Amino acid sequence: MRFSISRYDPDRDDGPWLQHYDIDLQDSDRMLLDVLLRIKEQDPTLSMRKSCREGVCGSDAMNINGRNGLACITRVRDLKEPVVLRPLPGFPIVRDLIVDMTQFFKQYHSIRPYLINDEPPPERERLQSPAEREKLNGAYECILCACCSSQCPSFWWNPDKFVGPAGLIQAYRFIFDSRDQATEERLDDLSDAYRLFRCRTIMNCSEVCPKGLEPSHAIERVRLKMIKKDGDSGALPVHPPRPVA
Amino acid sequence: MKRGPTGLPAWLVQRASAVYLLLFLVFVLASFALVPVHSQAEWLQWLARPGMRLALAVFFAALLAHMWVGLRDVLLDYAQPVRIRPYLLIGLAAGLCGLAVWAGFILLRMPA
Repeated sequence: MRFSISRYDPDRDDGPWLQHYDIDLQDSDRMLLDVLLRIKEQDPTLSMRKSCREGVCGSDAMNINGRNGLACITRVRDLKEPVVLRPLPGFPIVRDLIVDMTQFFKQYHSIRPYLINDEPPPERERLQSPAEREKLNGAYECILCACCSSQCPSFWWNPDKFVGPAGLIQAYRFIFDSRDQATEERLDDLSDAYRLFRCRTIMNCSEVCPKGLEPSHAIERVRLKMIKKDGDSGALPVHPPRPVA
Repeated sequence: MKRGPTGLPAWLVQRASAVYLLLFLVFVLASFALVPVHSQAEWLQWLARPGMRLALAVFFAALLAHMWVGLRDVLLDYAQPVRIRPYLLIGLAAGLCGLAVWAGFILLRMPA
């Protein structure tokens, strides 16, 4: 099976280029990451990130045949040949498949991804009703792999101003948390023309999320919350992750 | 409240104006389908219908508001470098104001 992998060494190359590897698949090669690790054994100069190898850490997000996904949960035998692997689009490349995620995490931190509650903490815990807890489903599962933000044209054009789908689904998670007391401040922070309203509802984010989450719905609910029309919303919709082909 | 281009009000204006433009378009198409207009005299008669001046005034206002938000979004998305955006927005606003004046003249010259 042929793999064409984007290579870039900032000390040596003017820009990214594709290197081709022809690999005989073995029985143990189930996921794309298995093959990448074998390629790395052959060519130790190939650089990439990986950690948990089971779709939980989000480290090995990359562009696979033109679509963002996690190498560790992408079945290699389902991919079309040649398998073209590139770093996440729109992000500065550090080396090969590794991108600089500084801006991405800066936007994530800007939405203050923590509970804000000035009341003295109760003896045990801040309780929620099942209905209140239900609203967090479909948002808290985000693993911050950046597949969504990296596939979002609005984030490509204004990465320093638009929070991006990953940051906004986290914003939803705290805006709709019954224990949080900073709802109005959070909504006001997102009310300008850039931070949330650069979203053009392209929905690439929902399409590529490897966890099947729908950041576009979260963004819509935050908009409705701003005009007090969020109603009695339950969990965010989710869908089975769509496989990379 | 933050300074600079607005988010929520612009979003609401875009949607509200879109609804009116759609309804007005349906009304105009249905009207022409039921009573076709073949001459200048019939056209003037169509414009002289009761409430038409107000409906057209709202149509022009909705169209200009919709254009402002849509074109402003294009500039906010794509105009680079960022520092030229205010000048482009001023140019856009001036152009739309010109169109608004033109639309005003059209409305004033409409048959009563």
